[in-house]
Amino acid sequence: MIWPIASAELLPLFSYLYELLESTGLPQPWLAVVVYTFLAALVFGVLSLLALFLVWWERKIAAHIQQRFGPMRHGWHGWYQTIMDAVKLLQKEDIRVATRDKTVFFWAPVVCFVAAFLAYVTIPFGEGLIVADLNIGILYIMAVTTFTVISLLMAGWGSNNKYALLGGMRSAAQVVSYEVPMVASILVVVLFVGSLSMVDIVQAQAGGIWNWYIFRLPYGPIAFCTYIIAATAEANRTPFDIPEAEQELVAGFNVEYSGMKFAMFFLAEFVNAFTVSAIAVILFFGGWHGALLPSWMWFLGKTFGIVLLLMLFRWTYPRLRVDQLMEFSWKFLVPVTFANIIIAAWFKYAGWYW
Amino acid sequence: MLDGTGSMGVFKDIKNLLIGMRITGKHLGRHAITLQYPEQKWTMPERSRGVVVLLSDKETGELNCTSCMLCMRACPTAAIEIDAPRGEDKKRTLKVFNVDNALCCYCGLCEEACNFSALKMATMYEYSTPNKGDLFWDMKKLQEAGRDVPYEDKRKKKKAKPVEAAPINEATPVKEDTKTDSPPPDDKASDTAGKEDEG
Amino acid sequence: MPELRTEEFQINMGPHHPSTHGVCRLILTMDGEKIVKIEPVIGYLHRALEKICENRTYAQCIPVTDRFEYVTAMSCNQVFSMAAERLAGIEVPERAEYLRVIMLELNRIASHLIFYGVTAMDLGALTPFLYGLREREAIIDLFEMTCGQRLTYNYIRVGGVARDIPKEFIPKCHEALDTITEKMSDYEGLLNENPIWLVRTKGVGVMPAKLGIDYGVSGPVLRASGVDYDIRRDDPYSIYDKFDWKPSVRQNGDCFDRYLIRLDEIKQSIKIVKQALDGLPEGDIKAKVSPNFKPPAGEVYARVENSRGELGIYIQSDGGKKPLRVKMRGGSYCQLQALPYFGTDCFIADLVAIFATLDIILPEVDR
Repeated sequence: MIWPIASAELLPLFSYLYELLESTGLPQPWLAVVVYTFLAALVFGVLSLLALFLVWWERKIAAHIQQRFGPMRHGWHGWYQTIMDAVKLLQKEDIRVATRDKTVFFWAPVVCFVAAFLAYVTIPFGEGLIVADLNIGILYIMAVTTFTVISLLMAGWGSNNKYALLGGMRSAAQVVSYEVPMVASILVVVLFVGSLSMVDIVQAQAGGIWNWYIFRLPYGPIAFCTYIIAATAEANRTPFDIPEAEQELVAGFNVEYSGMKFAMFFLAEFVNAFTVSAIAVILFFGGWHGALLPSWMWFLGKTFGIVLLLMLFRWTYPRLRVDQLMEFSWKFLVPVTFANIIIAAWFKYAGWYW
Repeated sequence: MLDGTGSMGVFKDIKNLLIGMRITGKHLGRHAITLQYPEQKWTMPERSRGVVVLLSDKETGELNCTSCMLCMRACPTAAIEIDAPRGEDKKRTLKVFNVDNALCCYCGLCEEACNFSALKMATMYEYSTPNKGDLFWDMKKLQEAGRDVPYEDKRKKKKAKPVEAAPINEATPVKEDTKTDSPPPDDKASDTAGKEDEG
Repeated sequence: MPELRTEEFQINMGPHHPSTHGVCRLILTMDGEKIVKIEPVIGYLHRALEKICENRTYAQCIPVTDRFEYVTAMSCNQVFSMAAERLAGIEVPERAEYLRVIMLELNRIASHLIFYGVTAMDLGALTPFLYGLREREAIIDLFEMTCGQRLTYNYIRVGGVARDIPKEFIPKCHEALDTITEKMSDYEGLLNENPIWLVRTKGVGVMPAKLGIDYGVSGPVLRASGVDYDIRRDDPYSIYDKFDWKPSVRQNGDCFDRYLIRLDEIKQSIKIVKQALDGLPEGDIKAKVSPNFKPPAGEVYARVENSRGELGIYIQSDGGKKPLRVKMRGGSYCQLQALPYFGTDCFIADLVAIFATLDIILPEVDR
């Protein structure tokens, strides 16, 4: 249900906007449209900046691991380097292969980009900083992030390039395989909380570090490990970045893309990395809870911590082969996560809460 | 866990994965070992072979070249072009000395062939250009580039200064540049071709 | 329901591909992700080096050989000088031989460090590349200090070496070797026991020893298949018989053994260089050789063990100052020609691993 919306569900800023517009006598559907457009613009702007920041940060982390400087030219330690890169990509010629499938080729980056941002409807950035607190929050996120795989398949097919096609096929197989352990790891926490709402999950972890589910649940660490492995695969990052393995498939699904279309894939990848880290924080690390600092700072800080972990993975490990990736998921991760669910269910049934 | 070994394999694998993380994490805190190139530069070692330059006498400011053509003959890629016609007194006068840096393979054979410290591969390496024609250096440019290059003088020190003054006048400078001409040609040049090591 | 039909398709790996190490083109016939057939296409980097050498004097050929196998250019200089010396009967002073061995082994270490980094990068680990090149940099600095260049050295000449080492060379060399010995634990910690690395390389691309011998494969690739053959020991040249070392041999012939054998060789080379530095005698560094010397008519084949196998040069002389015919033989060429026979029936990702561990460089293949 999109409208009518109650002003209490919105952020304070938007509640104010809502009331202001309401007083002018704007009819209801248009009122909701205006307010939601503002919200979407805000989320989009913040996340684009966040993604650009993550690109810069990843480059710096990679550089320091490899004892280099990384970007140093634009601003202090090159802090606006990626903004300049984005501007450059905007200006570049959009090279289109003559033999492409026109519609699919055009819409693939758009679907990828949109799917990456849709998840942020239900991610609470802080206390009350949530666009819409859906009661099926985590299920919704799982559903929309899987859209990405459709876009990768579209890109692979639409490019009419064998490398791209292989990349698209790989990504489809990979995401389908890793969706199972990822959802199974999430279920462990959901089972305990008894709600799919993101806000409820975070609220259940209030009151100190020992209430975070990674510490509070005896099976929490295992669930976190399986989640972070599956999430790395979901976000297409090394050691599971086979869809775009540049040493094998040159650039995989985005080999024919250039200019802003490529940038959309690129940014969506980083937004996805941030999404899976944010979910990890919400599920296992108490979301926005923390002392002294404002809640959104805690949330961002924790999420960046998880992103740092993903980056360390990326710059340390080699890449798995496609069949090993499948084997690892179906023969190791799925049994482990399912066993974990059974243990969690037993705990829940026996009433061993602590 | 990845190769399907038993349960103990999982812990061993996790341990080994963590060792890798420790190594990269350890490097994360270290300082970069690279340089920010245009602002910072390595000091090149003294023997570093960069672009070929013509050396001038430190006192007189004239080229050391005696037009013996040994370097031209030693060059494997024919990057050096010398034109030094013999005058009436059978002495060579250096008229043209061109180095095509696009052809040069920086082997240093010309420098070793030269017995008069006339040319050297300087440590200079920043002369890239978008225009290929700019890589063709003529005598004037080579001399300018070699003006401040330190070198060890291999020439014999017994030269008599007054004799040197005479042939300069009869030489016709190619351009208005006053010091493009050679010191007196030494005909022993070709005899000493065999000695190319310098220890 | 109609039966599903599958068909094989061809994919063009290279000449512009990140992991073909240059401009090799492999036409792969693929069945999905599996490789059915490999067809190498070479010649994109052909520069007619043999013909160029035939139009140069012997001294002028040395810079040309630098371009033959540029990752270990010292051994190219060495093998050409050796061939010319055997042809003309030139005795090399002992100090020059020591300097040659030091440079050759340092260059082998540098080459294997590149191998370490590049192989890791081809399998997706990007950081070891920088670590490998970091230590290589110290060795390259030593070369630059001695001969003035970082890649195309032109250092080992007919009759000796071009220049004596500078005074600070020996302490700096010891320092670099100690750093590499120390950093080896980092290299090994990053990859040797890493489970992802193990599944990617163990049992992948096994080259049977017989296949290797049949196709002329030599060097570390053959030794990884269990053939104990090292030209430094079996056909001794220079002064390798004076040092205490042994060729490293491994038995399985898979990518992991080919990787490990390079790390072993780095350790052995460090050992050789240390001994050579300690025993470095005083004396001449070059025999008296005219730059335009004319060897008597005849023919000679000289070979050295470089980091990619047997590197040989065949020179035919008609008594003139230029060689009549020069033939260069590189290890990479033989490894590439053996590739279609053991690289099939694996995934495209495995082919990348096999190609990387064969350590092929294309200028040596195409010449």
